[in-house]
Amino acid sequence: MRSIPVADQRSGSGMGDAAMARARSTEDVVVGDEIVRERLSARVVHWIVALTFFVCLFTGLPIWTPYLGFLAHLFGGLHVCRILHPWAGVAFAVASVFMFVQWVSQMKLTKADREFITPKGMLRYFQYRNEDADVGKYNGGQKLLFWAAALGTVGLLITGLVIWFPLEFPQWVREASYLLHDAAFSLFFAMIIGHIYLGTAAEPGTFRSMIRGTVTKSWARLHHPRWYREVTGEKAGG
Amino acid sequence: MTADGLEIRQSSASVWGSATELRNLKVVSKLIDTTTCIGCKACEVACQEWNDLHIVPTTQTGTYQTMPSLDANYWNLIKFREVEESGFFAWLLRKDGCMHCADPGCLKACPAPGAIVQYQNGIVDVNPEACIGCKMCETGCPFDIPRYSAKTDKMAKCTLCVDRVQVGLEPACVKACPTGCLEFGDKAELVAVAKARVEQLKQNGFTQAALYDPPGVGGTTVITVLAHGDHPEWYGLPKDPQVPVAVSLWKNVARPLAALAIAGSFFAMVAHYLSFGPKTPKEGAEKPKGDKPA
Repeated sequence: MRSIPVADQRSGSGMGDAAMARARSTEDVVVGDEIVRERLSARVVHWIVALTFFVCLFTGLPIWTPYLGFLAHLFGGLHVCRILHPWAGVAFAVASVFMFVQWVSQMKLTKADREFITPKGMLRYFQYRNEDADVGKYNGGQKLLFWAAALGTVGLLITGLVIWFPLEFPQWVREASYLLHDAAFSLFFAMIIGHIYLGTAAEPGTFRSMIRGTVTKSWARLHHPRWYREVTGEKAGG
Repeated sequence: MTADGLEIRQSSASVWGSATELRNLKVVSKLIDTTTCIGCKACEVACQEWNDLHIVPTTQTGTYQTMPSLDANYWNLIKFREVEESGFFAWLLRKDGCMHCADPGCLKACPAPGAIVQYQNGIVDVNPEACIGCKMCETGCPFDIPRYSAKTDKMAKCTLCVDRVQVGLEPACVKACPTGCLEFGDKAELVAVAKARVEQLKQNGFTQAALYDPPGVGGTTVITVLAHGDHPEWYGLPKDPQVPVAVSLWKNVARPLAALAIAGSFFAMVAHYLSFGPKTPKEGAEKPKGDKPA
């Protein structure tokens, strides 16, 4: 049993939030009614990735189409976007490397995960028909997002470098890069829309895992039953 | 700067277009007769002088050519090429510079609104104020004309002396040409002049003489008479120039598809929320003591 009493704080003072204090350096532990899901460093890395992603997105969209040209005004004009976009892209790629390293060991797809990410499995998930007691800390969809994001980032980085320094590359490489950068970013963005929706409106209680770093026990039991059992030591069906 | 007095036919990254079609302006043309060019480079000097371009150091390449290729500060370059094929030898001179395509690949590829414009008279011009220096025009151009200047972070190329044309003068290069191998006027009239010249060349033994006005880019404002019209590549011209397929695919197919994917994802999530709502623990599910609801 890794559960610790609320009074046992490691925040240094007695005034802080016990769960958040634990979440600074630890995860997968029970603190009172909460379970620490993402330690501070994981959350910081995630938000740096998110911030650089949106800087890339909003500086890239006005270059992508004049219909979204108004977004350029957020940064001081299209010329600023064209300077900022590649550098934000580099920052995004670097932050993504840290994110990849911190989560990769937990993102191995199990047999159950592979079933989860089939069209049938995804439909079951979105229709709330999945009573899968075997979902661990991350479900198949989250793992799929992780790998798709990794692949997408590599694709965006490579094609982005070609677009940044086009004169160093042959014509066909440039042409392919414009097309692939376009395809990669649109699929990435479509995926992130789903990611944000699931992390906020669709599954209440999820967003706090990226803010406080903690989730409630009932949230964990609903969405990640096997992880809940592992962390709390409760038996299946309990 | 762009020429204010001229009506714009199309503009890069334009949402609504800017053509009013109120005025009927004739399409102009510059005819280059490569067969009467003597390689004197008066056009190069006139171009530099009229446009007040910075001096670019010359490079000795082993030919009479001033430098290997065009520069952001050198828009007009006589290319000297020697062609040797199965006992046949030709020394070919061609004035290289913007062709001012009717269907400009540079303008198609450009993401900056108004950075590249095409006037009603066919001249394709650059507006440095709107140019963001992304170099996409260099990928869009089938003739390898636009040049990026790292110093200014802008693209530059021949404007066909739009500032002169606007007030009824011919381009500086045409003005300076001593042999009359450059002519300027209405496109329809110059095409007739060029065709007559091609006939003359055929009678003089150049049976493959032709007018280079490639249909792949909708024809060009700068048209070229070639003695060896069956081999434009001998002159450094592409055989069948097109706006790169990828540029059209990217702007006309990939972009709408991408917009559809993004909007589709958004509306699918909205529809999902309206149909299924949030996922919460089942009513009456067993809750251990002290557990807060999500």
